[in-house]
Amino acid sequence: MKKITLLLFVICCAAGFINAQTYKTRDGNIFFNPNKDQSKKDYASNSKEATAVLKAETSEVALLVPMKTFHFNNALLEEHFNDNYLHSDKFPNATYKGKLIGFNKDMLTKDGVYHISSDGQITLHGVTKNFSAPVKLEVKGKTAVFNCVFKIKAEEYNIDIPGLVKPKLADETPLVANISFPLN
Amino acid sequence: MKKIVSFLLIACSLFLTASAQDDLLGGLIQEDASKVKQNFTTATFKSTRIINMQSIEMTGKGNLQFMISHHFPNFWNEGKGWQNLAQMFGFNSGVATTYLSFDYSFLDWMNVGFAMTGNSRYETWGKFRLMRQQTGKRNIPVTIDYFALASVDASDGPSPDDLTWNRFSYVHQLLIGRKFSDKISLQLIPSLIHYNHVPYGIKNTNNIFNIGLGGRYKLSHKTALTFEYSRQLNGYKNLLDEGASAVNYVADLVSIGYDWDTGGHIFQFYLTSTTSSLNATQLSANQNNFAKGNFSLGFTINRSYGIKKVVQSH
Repeated sequence: MKKITLLLFVICCAAGFINAQTYKTRDGNIFFNPNKDQSKKDYASNSKEATAVLKAETSEVALLVPMKTFHFNNALLEEHFNDNYLHSDKFPNATYKGKLIGFNKDMLTKDGVYHISSDGQITLHGVTKNFSAPVKLEVKGKTAVFNCVFKIKAEEYNIDIPGLVKPKLADETPLVANISFPLN
Repeated sequence: MKKIVSFLLIACSLFLTASAQDDLLGGLIQEDASKVKQNFTTATFKSTRIINMQSIEMTGKGNLQFMISHHFPNFWNEGKGWQNLAQMFGFNSGVATTYLSFDYSFLDWMNVGFAMTGNSRYETWGKFRLMRQQTGKRNIPVTIDYFALASVDASDGPSPDDLTWNRFSYVHQLLIGRKFSDKISLQLIPSLIHYNHVPYGIKNTNNIFNIGLGGRYKLSHKTALTFEYSRQLNGYKNLLDEGASAVNYVADLVSIGYDWDTGGHIFQFYLTSTTSSLNATQLSANQNNFAKGNFSLGFTINRSYGIKKVVQSH
């Protein structure tokens, strides 16, 4: 009887463990540069505190970044970003939920560079939009780095940019997400 | 025994359902929400000054701020008639006190500055954040800064043989501010002005106290109305000046202003009952009586630059 109990317990736990094969990171990096002239970085900003999860079995991914973790070179810009444009008190986080297309969990076991893509929904400033972009996956030893370069349009997310500032900004804001998962 | 088995099974199945949760994003949102966050209040005022007085705001860490401010002569001079209009209420009189300053924040809580104030005077200051309005793990209802300023008069004064030390004066202020809502912020400003040297006179004093109140009301994201009132508590009646003649100063300092944040610059336009741009003079030797309509126009322009780079691209 005791043996059976133990066996049952182990099976249950193992099943739970396999099912829960997710990878997680808390220091994802997201960079954007809204300057029209991309060689200039005066409006650029980045956050190093994005949290993300990857469920290898189903290729599902999710990402969350608190707006207030985006920092700028000029403190005044950061204040404007939070107060005037993104209303961070009302919409504290930006999120992404989607699937990796062309990904399988075996990729994580072999070093290499893989070109895949991601499909899902971005929620930013209270607006949810469909999203799709190519992703570069680089597996090296015990880390998997997902790199995604994409563009978003501020007006699609109801982000109101005053006419005085508009001529200095690109029509579409280029972003770089660099999310590194430890594989353990 | 059976009980144990069934208990274990239940426990395991619970564990399974918990980990089989499909909603990855839901998990992240829950985790984020469960974190105890410290919410620091930001943007209590638009600028590092309310109008004439310092606000609790500081130039951001690693940022250099350049400020230029002008105080024009009186808006209206009695008996001057149409000349007031010809001079555009002081704007076009050809006379203005110019105040140029630079300040830099080495740390989140420390700001230092240097200013040229016109009339061969120089000022230098330090502003230190003692307490910051916040909610979360710790709740603090107000932001408190300590502001200390030293001013030196390098002009060719009436007695050039004066000890250098006599040319110094100081302003100490506690800035106690609270952002009550998105729109309304108020600040209490007790100040002490110290003169190393004052002319001889029974009522003359080296230490002058003031209590002030300032505030702003945000009209939009870019604009705000501001006001300031400061009351001098001692040392303004029956004083003697250097020539031993009697002087009386006005104890009240009243100002109203309009802030305009263009995104790059902050403009402040104001009407204030002083023509001086020096805090020490405004608070201890004000000659303009607002009750008689002695207001003057002025403006301040701010621009800050990110000196220390914090953003990294890949």
